[in-house]
Amino acid sequence: MKNAKLKIGLIAITSLGMMWGSASASAAPEKRCTAGGQKVECPTITEAEAKAASDRFTKEAESMGTGEGGSTYGIAPFDYLTGVGKRTAASDAGAKAGTYKGDSGYALKANAGQVKTELWDRVKAPSSDGVTDKSVYDQWTNNWSPKFGETLVAGADANQGKSYYYSYCIACHGWLMHGDGPSASELNPRPRTLTRGDYMQKKTNLELFAIIKGGGEAAALSSSMPNWGNVLQDQDIWNIVAFIRAMQDVPPPKSVTEYLNPKSTFKPIKGDVDALNAAQNKDFQEMQELIESEMTGRAPGSELVGGGYVKGGNRINAADVTLKVKK
Amino acid sequence: MQSKIKFLMAGTLSMSCLMLGAANAADKPEVIPGWHNAVPDGKDTPLHDPMILYASGGVDGKMAIIGIPSFKTYRHVDCGVDTHEISFGGSNKGNKNGTPDGKYVYLNDKGANTICEFDLQTGYLARVIALPFPFGVHHIAISTDGKTLFGTGEYSGKMSKTDIKSGKTEVIDWGPAPSAPDYIDASRDGKYVFAGNYYHSTVGVFSTSPFKLIKEIPVGKNPHGTDVIPESTLVLVSDKLSATMTIIDTEKLAVKKVLPTCAGPLHSVMDVYNKDGGSYRAGIDSPNGLTSKYAYESCFVADANVKVDLKKLEVVDEIPTHYRTGHISISPDNSYVMALNKFSTGLFSPTGVIFPVNFEMWDAREKSPTYGKTLRIMPVDGEPHNAKGLMAYLIKDWTKGQAEQGGLIDKRTEVLDPLHRSLSRRYFIPKETTPPGVKVVDGVKEIHMKAFSYGYIPRQVRVNKGDKVRLFATNIDKAAGITKNPDVTMGLTIYGPYGARSNMDLPRGVTAVHEFTADIAGEYEIFCTHFCGPLHLEMRAAFFVDDPKKGPSNLAVGDYDKAQHLPGLLEEGQLTVAERVKGL
Repeated sequence: MKNAKLKIGLIAITSLGMMWGSASASAAPEKRCTAGGQKVECPTITEAEAKAASDRFTKEAESMGTGEGGSTYGIAPFDYLTGVGKRTAASDAGAKAGTYKGDSGYALKANAGQVKTELWDRVKAPSSDGVTDKSVYDQWTNNWSPKFGETLVAGADANQGKSYYYSYCIACHGWLMHGDGPSASELNPRPRTLTRGDYMQKKTNLELFAIIKGGGEAAALSSSMPNWGNVLQDQDIWNIVAFIRAMQDVPPPKSVTEYLNPKSTFKPIKGDVDALNAAQNKDFQEMQELIESEMTGRAPGSELVGGGYVKGGNRINAADVTLKVKK
Repeated sequence: MQSKIKFLMAGTLSMSCLMLGAANAADKPEVIPGWHNAVPDGKDTPLHDPMILYASGGVDGKMAIIGIPSFKTYRHVDCGVDTHEISFGGSNKGNKNGTPDGKYVYLNDKGANTICEFDLQTGYLARVIALPFPFGVHHIAISTDGKTLFGTGEYSGKMSKTDIKSGKTEVIDWGPAPSAPDYIDASRDGKYVFAGNYYHSTVGVFSTSPFKLIKEIPVGKNPHGTDVIPESTLVLVSDKLSATMTIIDTEKLAVKKVLPTCAGPLHSVMDVYNKDGGSYRAGIDSPNGLTSKYAYESCFVADANVKVDLKKLEVVDEIPTHYRTGHISISPDNSYVMALNKFSTGLFSPTGVIFPVNFEMWDAREKSPTYGKTLRIMPVDGEPHNAKGLMAYLIKDWTKGQAEQGGLIDKRTEVLDPLHRSLSRRYFIPKETTPPGVKVVDGVKEIHMKAFSYGYIPRQVRVNKGDKVRLFATNIDKAAGITKNPDVTMGLTIYGPYGARSNMDLPRGVTAVHEFTADIAGEYEIFCTHFCGPLHLEMRAAFFVDDPKKGPSNLAVGDYDKAQHLPGLLEEGQLTVAERVKGL
């Protein structure tokens, strides 16, 4: 019942052009995914939806050279993938619908009347935000993306995970995690829709971590999901897990404010492993051993083993994540 | 007459900042019709450039020799598979152009895991230094004394130190995995080597002797360019995913400042001045007491170069480029900055299914009326990586058939073609929809791979030693994350012994097929050879060739001694095979 409502809600919101469509329209999809020991229908987009999403990317890319978005450089006026430069809706106070004034969010706040159209301007945080050396890290992806004051996975920071999601996952899973990234139409099975609470709520953190680190095959799922364990450090993977949890059942936003403050429906699963207690969890250790034994770039007996963790900078240890766990 | 014509050139070419042969101010300019401004002074070319740019060709496996400021390409010289970093022999003192002694230029081949040595005076490939396996050299940097080349082993998490004379290489581990050392530079005082590690998000500091890791300095996310300024006091790190420049103090070996610069920063170059404040002239001025004023950082995502004041440590200007600047280079006289752009979307006529990339030269002279403006933009071969320039007076003038004079070629002089170019059968088929994976068809292992930004599916491929391999690779990208360029081409190269056999171009809409025999066991990284987006480097997979007698391959198990012997070697002396020393 809850799912049906969600679908209706999502279909209604198409102002941003994020195709969702109705999963119910397709005829009895095959139950080829496992959740909680049960075979279930995989939450992915349909063939038609994937194609429509793909066509939109192509269209945007083709019109890029003419600078339709208003950039003086004629390049990347609006980035569909990161949302940088996304037009504001008329409902946002102060922004005139259909103009680029205030698109970055900064013009409205700090420099009223000043139009920032260049990508470069947008990623520069204004000094009025009290930017310190530490907080300028990640600004590329942080400035125009959801912000999280709490975490749903102890010891993991969704704000950090988000920037890796936008770098690595977005091509297939899409800007809003709906499984409609530009490459989605080329994959079979399609990339998972990561916001679907009816499915994701049944997946444990352990499973999510294993799939990101070891690829789809680590959980007997699609081989199209690559293993990222030789690209991402363990803590980065935990941060991505936190980001996925924080976006559960979040619909396409109607305004910038809504976009920046997503409300997740995720409830921590009892007895599940998290970034803080992973080191003590036996199941987690077993999974790690199994996945790492198959991984590239790890020479037995040399220094080239482990989770790649180097203390300091923008990467903080699970124990040092200050975000409170949402109760 | 001669001096009159020289004066004309100096006066009419607004960019002729440093003409050789000073103009006589008393001479009056004389108009010569047409484009052909000849210099009839004993040289038989219509134009002499005061500076020469040596550019790695990337996927074309060559080195291009280009004039500055004419932007005319003089030659392409073969090296191997996928070339990356230019480093002049001599000393690393000065800016990124170093202090060339005019003897050799080194160019590392990421695809073949080698370093090519070119004789600057003959313009030929003189030697190939084969690096140990497993390694996967990404970039190289020459030491201050000019005797050593340091290298980063991107595909194995290792670092190397190669004695240029003997070719012997020392390799050390830089763990833990995942570890990917990429861009490297050496301090001008000879004490340290700095290298970024995009998986660790740190800069590693290595002592040069003994060669070992001293510490890791955390920087922004996925750092790339790691560049030491001429004074050797600061290291500028381009934090690719953090839109910042992290500035490291080389005395304290700690972060001094983090500077917001631009989206997708990749590399930095600096200007360089001698101790009297004039432009530094290698071979003429003392290499001591050099200073710099500005650094220029390339911004891939923002389509710009930013100018950083090195005294105030702040961004002072931003120059738009066209488009997606990767590496960045500066002319030896500090006049021009060359943005080595990765995309030319819409700028040039199509050349087939793969579009050209371009070099763009903009005027960096602050007092020039064209300051900040693009002066030249030209399509270039391959998919170039770094380029460095030297003053043209360092190359002997042998254009009148007098190559035997001045000791240039007065004895037997070995000239190498890249002998390790080996065979594979290669063709395109219409875009296939076969799911990714490995299957056996008529005794041939058919590997179906998909390339997307940023990665390959499957990420690991295992075959057995001796297998006949038919590799199908398809670019499934629509928008290469963040860049959105419509003309994104992917590449697929298995480094090392399979480099030349697999140097695949993957334009959109087709499937590339290569057939070869997997005859050397080991773990060899697969990487993307066309700069497709900010995380192009991170676009990797691995090719395992397992020897059933030895078990599954990894960085410790494989025919690595065999891998470093390049096929086609004719006789000893043409190729230096570096020995595996330690850390393996």
